[in-house]
Amino acid sequence: MWAQTNPAPFLSDQVPENMDSAVSSRLALIFCFSTSVVYADGAIDFARDVAPIFEQHCVRCHSSLSSKGDLSLETFADLKDNEYVVAGEAEDSHLLQVLTGNQPQMPKAGRPLSPKEVDTIRRWINRGAEWPDDVFVREKSKADSSWWSLQPLSAENLQHTSDTTVDQFVQSKLSELGLQPTAEADRRTLVRRLYIDMIGLPPSPEVVATFVADPDPQAYENLVDQLLASPRFGERWARHWLDIAHYADTHGFERDKRRDNAWHYRDYVIRAFNDDKPFDHFLREQIAGDVIAPDDADVIVATGFLAAGPWDFVGQEETKSPELRRAARALDLDDMVTQVMTATVGMTVNCARCHDHKLDPILQREYYQLTAVFAGLKRADRDVSQQARKDHAAKKQTLENAISEVQVQIGQLEGKAIDLADIVGGGNGFGSGKKGLGIDARTGKTQERPFGDLGNVKPGDFRQCEHRFVDGVFVPANQRTQITSTELSANDLPANSGKAWDMIRNGPVSSQFSTKLGATDFNTAGHSMIGLHANAGITFDLQAIRSGWSDDDADEAAAFRFSTTAGYGGRTEEPSAEYYVLLDGELKASRKIGRNDADAIAFDILRAAKFLTLISTDGGDGYSHDQISFGDPRLARVVASHHTVERQQQLADLQQRQKQLAEELTQLGEPPVFFGVVAEPPPEVNVLVRGNPETPTVEVVQPGTLGWKKADVTFGDQQMDEGQRRLALANWITDEQNPLTARVIVNRLWHWHFGQGIVDTPSDFGYGGGQPSHPKLLDWLAAELIRSQWSLKHIHRLIVTSHAYRQSSEHSKRAAAIDSDNRLLWRMNVRRLEAEAVRDSVLAVTGKLNAEMFGPGYRDFDYQEAYAPIYTYKTANSPDLWRRSVYRFVVRTTPQQFLATLDCADPANFTPKRNVTTTAQQSLAMFNNDFMLKQSEYFAERLQRDAKTLEQQIDRAFQLAFSRPATEGERTAAGRLVNDQGLPHLCRVLLNANEFVYVD
Amino acid sequence: MPISRNNQNDAAPPENSGTSRREILQAAAGGFGWLAAQAMMQQEATAASAATLANGTHHRAKAKAVIQIFCPGGMSQVDTFDHKPELVKREGKPFDADGKLQFFASKPGNCRPSFWRFRQHGESGLWMSDLFPELATCIDDMAFIYSMHSKSALHGPGCFMMNTGFTSPGFPSMGSWVTYGLGSESENLPAFVVLPDPAGLPPGGIINWGSGFLPAVYQATTLETTAGRQPIADLFPPSTVANMNRDADRADLDLLQQLNRKHLRERVGNTDLEARIAAYELAARLQLSAPEVADISGETANTVQSYGLDDQQTSAFGRQCLLARRLVERGVRFVQIYCGAENTTAKKIRPNWDSHEDLSRDHGHWGRVLDVGASALLKDLKARGLLEETLVMCTTEFGRQPAGQGAAAKGRDHNAGAFTAWMAGGGVKGGVGFGATDELGFKAVESPTYSYDLHATALHLLGIDHTKMTFYHNGIERRLTDVHGHLISEVMV
Repeated sequence: MWAQTNPAPFLSDQVPENMDSAVSSRLALIFCFSTSVVYADGAIDFARDVAPIFEQHCVRCHSSLSSKGDLSLETFADLKDNEYVVAGEAEDSHLLQVLTGNQPQMPKAGRPLSPKEVDTIRRWINRGAEWPDDVFVREKSKADSSWWSLQPLSAENLQHTSDTTVDQFVQSKLSELGLQPTAEADRRTLVRRLYIDMIGLPPSPEVVATFVADPDPQAYENLVDQLLASPRFGERWARHWLDIAHYADTHGFERDKRRDNAWHYRDYVIRAFNDDKPFDHFLREQIAGDVIAPDDADVIVATGFLAAGPWDFVGQEETKSPELRRAARALDLDDMVTQVMTATVGMTVNCARCHDHKLDPILQREYYQLTAVFAGLKRADRDVSQQARKDHAAKKQTLENAISEVQVQIGQLEGKAIDLADIVGGGNGFGSGKKGLGIDARTGKTQERPFGDLGNVKPGDFRQCEHRFVDGVFVPANQRTQITSTELSANDLPANSGKAWDMIRNGPVSSQFSTKLGATDFNTAGHSMIGLHANAGITFDLQAIRSGWSDDDADEAAAFRFSTTAGYGGRTEEPSAEYYVLLDGELKASRKIGRNDADAIAFDILRAAKFLTLISTDGGDGYSHDQISFGDPRLARVVASHHTVERQQQLADLQQRQKQLAEELTQLGEPPVFFGVVAEPPPEVNVLVRGNPETPTVEVVQPGTLGWKKADVTFGDQQMDEGQRRLALANWITDEQNPLTARVIVNRLWHWHFGQGIVDTPSDFGYGGGQPSHPKLLDWLAAELIRSQWSLKHIHRLIVTSHAYRQSSEHSKRAAAIDSDNRLLWRMNVRRLEAEAVRDSVLAVTGKLNAEMFGPGYRDFDYQEAYAPIYTYKTANSPDLWRRSVYRFVVRTTPQQFLATLDCADPANFTPKRNVTTTAQQSLAMFNNDFMLKQSEYFAERLQRDAKTLEQQIDRAFQLAFSRPATEGERTAAGRLVNDQGLPHLCRVLLNANEFVYVD
Repeated sequence: MPISRNNQNDAAPPENSGTSRREILQAAAGGFGWLAAQAMMQQEATAASAATLANGTHHRAKAKAVIQIFCPGGMSQVDTFDHKPELVKREGKPFDADGKLQFFASKPGNCRPSFWRFRQHGESGLWMSDLFPELATCIDDMAFIYSMHSKSALHGPGCFMMNTGFTSPGFPSMGSWVTYGLGSESENLPAFVVLPDPAGLPPGGIINWGSGFLPAVYQATTLETTAGRQPIADLFPPSTVANMNRDADRADLDLLQQLNRKHLRERVGNTDLEARIAAYELAARLQLSAPEVADISGETANTVQSYGLDDQQTSAFGRQCLLARRLVERGVRFVQIYCGAENTTAKKIRPNWDSHEDLSRDHGHWGRVLDVGASALLKDLKARGLLEETLVMCTTEFGRQPAGQGAAAKGRDHNAGAFTAWMAGGGVKGGVGFGATDELGFKAVESPTYSYDLHATALHLLGIDHTKMTFYHNGIERRLTDVHGHLISEVMV
């Protein structure tokens, strides 16, 4: 195991500061774990001597997981019960009988056991057939921890060798077979190859001309640097990574709902590649960005990676059946685990979901350890960060305050009455408050949800309120009750039960029987009401309410007139509750009322008045149903405002401002969210028999990862924090001692540059995958990556400046006879553009490419809301749809047919390498699709703009499409077609040509 | 876009450049089939091998082509093929007295017998409900698998499982596998054609007939069955584009192929480039053959009527069935027809078999649709002698509950525990039933079988050993039947 070779650097350098010490010391143990037991000579040890024979020959069929053999050889139970083994009596044991003889019955497939193996079993039985309880025989995987990809990067590669090059490794392999690399390609070929490969777009004729003529011997290297620095680079390479993340903008499955906020993750990937974010950071952030930088939106959105795959809304949310939900959840977690592990370390852990991995040293238990790492996650829209939510809330508050301010000013100018119910709802008295909002008479705090009988009521306890215009609230006491912050009190309130119900509300209280007081229903448009269930009181701060009024109003003598309708909202007809209205502690109105009573109350309020108090008490007969309500509680100006011209103008300005602010509020929208993962306390995870959620074993697994059958790598126990689990896995993956991570990514880069990886199965570095064609090169590149602080651009540069990359793609019969697949790179591979590169290149050539970066994807479909939404594709024929294909809104159930035909990745699958197929449907799409034909017309228009004569136009067309001038013969043939059919037809032909869609 | 052979001198064959046989086979894979390629390479390596037949199949095939009818939404077994007299006896009694069960959308209601009367038919005396009066006359050609069950009672995963063998999206459909294995019979038509319901896609969408991780060359071609539309996407330039006509197409293609051949001459030995030139020629042939196959004006009035084309209710599906016959007649390997579209919660009538609230209404509608189209197809194939070599299969993603759903018990909820599939023709023994459900039709109890056995059996009839046709993807040699599958020999001749 790699960690054993050099555990020290891991411990000193790699333990993150925010990981608690218990976890780190456990990791230290894990990485140092080793077993070596010495046996006495000659003795038979079941685990050492016998179990391997069963593993190799028997358990494939004879296990509890296989239906082929009736008997299980996993434990001793079956052998003993069926008398296959009689301890001490080898010759009487049926097991030995089926294994021996001229044609042994067993094993059914494969060679018979060797005499030595038979003898071992015989001796084991004769010596008592001891089988320790804790030894469980499992089928052996084909590969064990000695598998090549699990070995540490060789020491020589970790040494810095500044003069090593890619070509030394390539050359040495070629020489072994007597092959030579091809000569360097010409500059025109190189610039086209480099552009398509690095940024996914063809070079302009001007770029080609400049490069071809550049006398600088470093011209090529300079071009490489230019392209690495281009923002188009990230767009191109993000697409590759999104294939691995199987990213899309809808959920998939039956109800393929939209994920309107998924694009944040796509943008993260583009930025990360453009910024050359160190690859280890890139991986860590995608797995645990929310844990690493909980306040950094740019990092948190990276976790969109975990949520990028399909998600079954019906199975997870809609169905009522718990069994179906468990099944959907199991698929969901499998998708997450598989994505993370295949993308980062190229291990097909998903094969260990139902049984131990048949090929690689991965236990079924370890699959569930990995599941436990993600078991607390749900895919959902979430805040990009807490800070972003705070910022958004602050902006919203500022806008709402400004609107409220303007409302007040308008209200004043218009002479509108102030609505006290609106103030109870947190408003300014002119409608900025919230209907239904309440104030807790016990605390002065705001509450939205309905309450019933209140506990912990302290009558007589006056509490100031968070609302600006409310002085305070209280539950009236039996004698003296403080009713203002200035300690005015009401002394003559009758005795009450000391109980209280619900909040003081802008609207009815919870369970209010009726909102009709007298003839008027005050819970309708144009009316308002304060719900004040007994026993409760509220005092309004008149000074504060008036403080906002403009100066000219100060001259008015009598300020306001208060009016309201006091009534009883309960069912009881018998008068059974009292209301009180007080001004500065002086009683203005009061009565004991019931269902049929409604009192109109009105009185003037002088400028000097400070406090208006409303109280309800229960009448001494219990508080039930005592739903005192104040309908239309208003403070109206006694003298109406003057409607001067000046005021009219002021009013108009304010109304304009109000409109503008309202618009800004709308535009601010909801707090920024992205489609990612939200965390919950992780449930216990069990190993599932055959991966079936309905058949869990009793074995609860701890969060952990792979130990290659050498160690048990767990991160913590069930108590371990959800985020820390992911962080631990991210750290394990990006540990420099992990032999896979660096190898896997440099191989991916190689694959994308050459069309064929050093390992030709980029997401499978196990036994089922391919062997490296250049193992030393792979290790050297991996070491270079780590040495360069995980700089991917460094590796890109090493690869594309090599001769192996710069050589011509010219065919050689001799070389092909030796290495027809060009695994050893005796020439450059000719490659077809991927679907997206075809589309983007078409747009670039026609001049229609819209270079706008980032943000919500373009939608080249009509969307129709339905149980299962309907996505109907339309021709992309407007600038907003001519953005690069990486910005396409990707629908899972309904692929974009044009791109799908060109082997665009299906986001249901992880796609480490694109298929390249050639079909008649492809030809039809390229030749007849509306998009292609429209672009042919635009191409023709461009040619007419760019060049005058037909000859120049034809030349320009070839330059744009093929990066070369037309030959004499081509010019003639093209001219004939243009004369007969028109310029768009030539454009159509060029965009269909092999030379356009293939790169040398 | 007709083919042009005007520039023969441009099309000088590339020198024999050491191109490997593997390369040739890969380039030709669309028409050749992986099994044949395997066989050829094996023979090359070990001289002629007796293990495989000349065309690469593992054993002699009974069927050359498959027509698969898919009824999305969940067809009720107890109202169609699976006769349950016990349900009548228990009518109105609680289905789940303990109240322990929770179905997809509801708690079980009372036992609800079939909405249609069951009768015995034909020499075999097998049972079928009155929902299918026409199919009942074909009963002695049909084999029923009463003990189907699924791993999911959700439409999306359920459809995926019946089509691809897996409940997750992204796996190749059976049609893609068959195409991958056997290649194409026809030079002028695609090997795998899908006829979706004109009303829309089934639950889970296009990936139900996707090629998954298999190369796109094995993907289905959708044949548009709505009259007046191009039968295949992009078969011709859209009529809205000015200046496009057959002459212009020919001129454009001539220049294109001229440029391509010149390009190829400078890049000898590149089979991909050759294949792309050939693909444009196949596309040109498709322009002739696809409209021909979609044009049913040459069919007799009798035929047209038998498929229900003169009845608005049955005409869309009938047309799909008729086209399916025309396609297999012309060498198409695999045709899939959808009888029903995407699920909705529509209250008027469901666009598929998903009859939660009114089974008599929805199964009543779709039952008649299926009855007319499928029976006409079976009879027509038989009359033309095509049924012997054409395997017809009809499946749904899961069944429905024997208990009623809703206050009036007019509907039925999803049931992954039991449903019925049927097969006919192509080596299938007629008039037999296989497996059984319990006395109420709730669960498959006798020989319960997932999609695997059905797929394995169908592949077997096509000459393919389902355990031997594999494709490596992300760590696993994948199969249509995963690691499962037994042949249902009881339904084979």
